[in-house]
Amino acid sequence: MASEPMSVGSSAMEPPLAPSGASDEPKYAGFTRFELELEFVQALGNPAYLNHLASRKFLSNPSFIAYIDYLQYWTRPPYIKYLTYPGPTLKNLRLLQQEKFRQDIISPQLTHVMMTEGLRAVVEYHREN
Amino acid sequence: MALLQNIDARFERVERALGTLIDSITKYNPSNKLAADLAAADSELVGALADLERHRHNVARIHDLQTQTAQLDTQIRDTISALWAARRELKNTPVTRPSSDSRTKHNFTTEELLAYARRISRNTMPPPGVTNGFDFSTNRNTASPTPTATQTPSASFNGAEIKTGGTPSASGTPANGETTTTTASQLNISQATTVSGGTAATELPIHLKPIVNPHEGATFIPWPEEHMIRGGALASFSLLVDEGKDPRGYDPEEEEQRLREEEEARKAAEEQARLERDEAERRMREEHERMARERERARQEAERRGSVAGGAERPAQQAQFTFLDGLDDDDD
Repeated sequence: MASEPMSVGSSAMEPPLAPSGASDEPKYAGFTRFELELEFVQALGNPAYLNHLASRKFLSNPSFIAYIDYLQYWTRPPYIKYLTYPGPTLKNLRLLQQEKFRQDIISPQLTHVMMTEGLRAVVEYHREN
Repeated sequence: MALLQNIDARFERVERALGTLIDSITKYNPSNKLAADLAAADSELVGALADLERHRHNVARIHDLQTQTAQLDTQIRDTISALWAARRELKNTPVTRPSSDSRTKHNFTTEELLAYARRISRNTMPPPGVTNGFDFSTNRNTASPTPTATQTPSASFNGAEIKTGGTPSASGTPANGETTTTTASQLNISQATTVSGGTAATELPIHLKPIVNPHEGATFIPWPEEHMIRGGALASFSLLVDEGKDPRGYDPEEEEQRLREEEEARKAAEEQARLERDEAERRMREEHERMARERERARQEAERRGSVAGGAERPAQQAQFTFLDGLDDDDD
């Protein structure tokens, strides 16, 4: 969402602490870093959002790529259990590590295919079960 | 070799014994001893021949065994080469290294697992009857339903996408509304084409579908939608940045609370001031009334006395009464 160009080294390299009830953590706009990063990593599950990020040239920004790499802590415990959209979030987070995908997602066709596949898979999976 | 020499020697001995015996017979002087020698030599030869026969047997057996070992050798060689090939294959298989994190076990209870499943189900499990516009009733290989269905998100999200690109910080609510309506109408169109396409025999008329399936035409989206992203924590973060405020340590809710408290304090102060003013006014009014009453009484008294000298004292009396009234009020 941030429209400011990011500077290298602006991202913290240590994952935020999982919520523990302690309220002395610094807050940003009233939210902890944990909350903000959880929301962002899950927003990456939306193909249209990825396309939007690509169109704003974020996906070729080295700082942003480093940030995407850093966000991989969500694939591991104890953070993974906080994802409420686990499927698309983890899939897109993995895809975003590949340079080819970061270049290709600017294509509306690919965005469209990903959306169609996602919408289809979610109903098909539960139909078969 | 030794066996053959042995046989040869015995054979010679038999021949020699035989020769000596024949000589002795031709000289008409046969001897029992020579005959016995011949017999002994002959039996030895027979023994040697039996050895030879056994030897032959053994040779044949050795030959058999050799063939057998040769066969087994081939078998072993085959097995070993197969093993080697398997080993090479194993070695060439890329090893998937478990990362250090996945090796450490994270224990969880069934309860936690179920709680997680319950928490994510609203985002991962479509409500019954929602098909997202995909037709699963017919054979999946028939291509006809897919193209009509794939048009659905394309149209709606492209619309949303243009809005996103154009006005990034605009409010997302109208765009979302537009998205859902477009989706619904597109779905209706896709259903209409399916019906007219020839499967009408088993299809319900469109106007009856929502009665049978309350989720008819609904779309289940398995990721955060645009309006959620636009209304989330990051959006308020972005808003603060756009307003030129540092989001760190700035809590809009706390800020609002602070403003509200300030407002309340201001209102309370105003109310207090108003009450005080009213009170002061009331006192002043009472004082005035009392003064008026006192004045009236003094006047009446003065009139009753009919005194003429009271004119000069009157202002002093007034002042005295005023002063006393003030003291009384304070005591109350």
